[in-house]
Amino acid sequence: MKAGQSVFATVSNFLSERFPVEHMNFQHMVEKKDVPVHNMSWGYYTGGLTLFFLMVQVVTGLFLLFYYQPTVSDAHLSVEFINKHVAGGALIRNMHTWSASCMIFFAMLHLLTSFAMKAFEKPRELTWIFGVLLLFLTFTFGFTGYLLPWNQIAVNATKVGLQSVEAVGEYLPGALSQLPHILRETFQGEASVGQSTLGRFYALHVVLLPLALLGLISLHLLSVQLHGMSRGVDQPTKKSERFFPFFIFKDLSLWSIVFLLLLILAWCIPFDSFLPYPLLAPYNALGSTPAGIKPEWYFYFLYYPLEMLPFWLILLATGLAVLVLIFTPWIFKGTSRKTLGLITVLASLYLVVMTVFGEQIYHMVKP
Amino acid sequence: MWRAKSTKESISAGFLLAVLLLLSGSAAECYPEYQAFIEKRSGKTVDCAVCHVNANGPVGRESGQIGSLSQKQLAQLNAARAAIEPEMLKEDNPILNRLGNSIIRTIGKKKFLEHRQDPEKLAELLGNKSDLDNDGIPDSQEYLDGTDALNSSHGEPFKLFLVNLNRYKYHLALAALAVFILDWGFAHLIQGFYLQSKMGKAGNHE
Repeated sequence: MKAGQSVFATVSNFLSERFPVEHMNFQHMVEKKDVPVHNMSWGYYTGGLTLFFLMVQVVTGLFLLFYYQPTVSDAHLSVEFINKHVAGGALIRNMHTWSASCMIFFAMLHLLTSFAMKAFEKPRELTWIFGVLLLFLTFTFGFTGYLLPWNQIAVNATKVGLQSVEAVGEYLPGALSQLPHILRETFQGEASVGQSTLGRFYALHVVLLPLALLGLISLHLLSVQLHGMSRGVDQPTKKSERFFPFFIFKDLSLWSIVFLLLLILAWCIPFDSFLPYPLLAPYNALGSTPAGIKPEWYFYFLYYPLEMLPFWLILLATGLAVLVLIFTPWIFKGTSRKTLGLITVLASLYLVVMTVFGEQIYHMVKP
Repeated sequence: MWRAKSTKESISAGFLLAVLLLLSGSAAECYPEYQAFIEKRSGKTVDCAVCHVNANGPVGRESGQIGSLSQKQLAQLNAARAAIEPEMLKEDNPILNRLGNSIIRTIGKKKFLEHRQDPEKLAELLGNKSDLDNDGIPDSQEYLDGTDALNSSHGEPFKLFLVNLNRYKYHLALAALAVFILDWGFAHLIQGFYLQSKMGKAGNHE
């Protein structure tokens, strides 16, 4: 902040640089927008694919809303009804679950490629932060949606998740230590995971989170369109292509192919077939917890380390990772793209190993 | 003489007791040998719902368990217990699900009990004809894979993929055609907008 400059003026300058309203016209945002062509150009498609899967989520989710009943007595039955008796119900539900996983996969890939391409450089800091918040929001969508079928794995995994939230309180100082407990009580709504929890998760999943997502994604996309595509590589490339119509053509063609692949997956492999069937049985509050309860695959990178290492260590690492992600534009301001690429490769390696081999590693460490 | 009669009687009594124990045992247990075999072979968790109505097995008062049966169902259960050979089975066992009853109808209770020590043989005895959930994977294969033989949405993912790909090939071909036509239409629409905006600009310059 320069001497004599008020805080308001500083904030105002910062925001006007990040949201240059003079660029807010069709000519600048569409007609004159160029997309650099280089060996990392494929990274520019990952954001679009995430958006595409979000649109599939919205459409299929709306269809599911017609039949799904958010009550503990009827939730599981209504999901079974959708699967077995509604015309195209199984296909729609499978598209919803498959595209949820795909959306999270591409959101993570988009974050990693954006990091490697240094797409967070000034004036795109806020674009990056909105993106990180969108990724967290996507994970929350996954967590809240997991409970809705009200089967054994859904309820028991949610219980474990909420217990983990409460356990964080032990490591926080003073009044802050009560915050996780309050959060758990708020989301759980009663002594154990029950009707109140289902109602609240449902409200979060279909109303509150979509509203938050709509706001954040609007800001993220607006900021992307205002600033154009980031350079992506150290040496400015001479080759570029017009966003309109050439990049949009390619994007649409890719979306078509991906839609077909999604359709094949949803038609041919019911998502539930990856789970042992006792975990898909309706939740029985009086029964014992079945073996094999674990979260969705996209939480494995956090879940298996939690099972193997002390809680405080994972909490510390997660807290640090979140802070680093949010402050990336400032922490890695002077870092070269080569170094960023190396960090990305290491982070990707960790995510892939934990997701694919996490269970085997866990059994090796704790036989 | 007395001694001989006594021996004969004790043999009969012993046989009767053994049969009763066998029958009562078979009704009350869910044969964990089969469950253990499936879990070991498939690497997946399974429960008594492989063959029984209730996932917690036949004993208890919950739905599908012996304690919840009506008089008529109990009579049905006893008749099913007594049927050692498949042809002796008149009605389904009320504590078994469709797969459980299908197994007993196909191979009979005697053979089922005989193969407790060799559970892999059960798949062979069942053959490949029966597919109760009509998902394209035979019940015997679902038994080996540890998947739900009564749920068409549950099976070994790759096997389901191949079966469904073949089953829905015409649906998928039509979907592919529709998607590509839509893509072609959108591409031309965007091209139209692009050309129109270019022509508009050219007109303005003139």
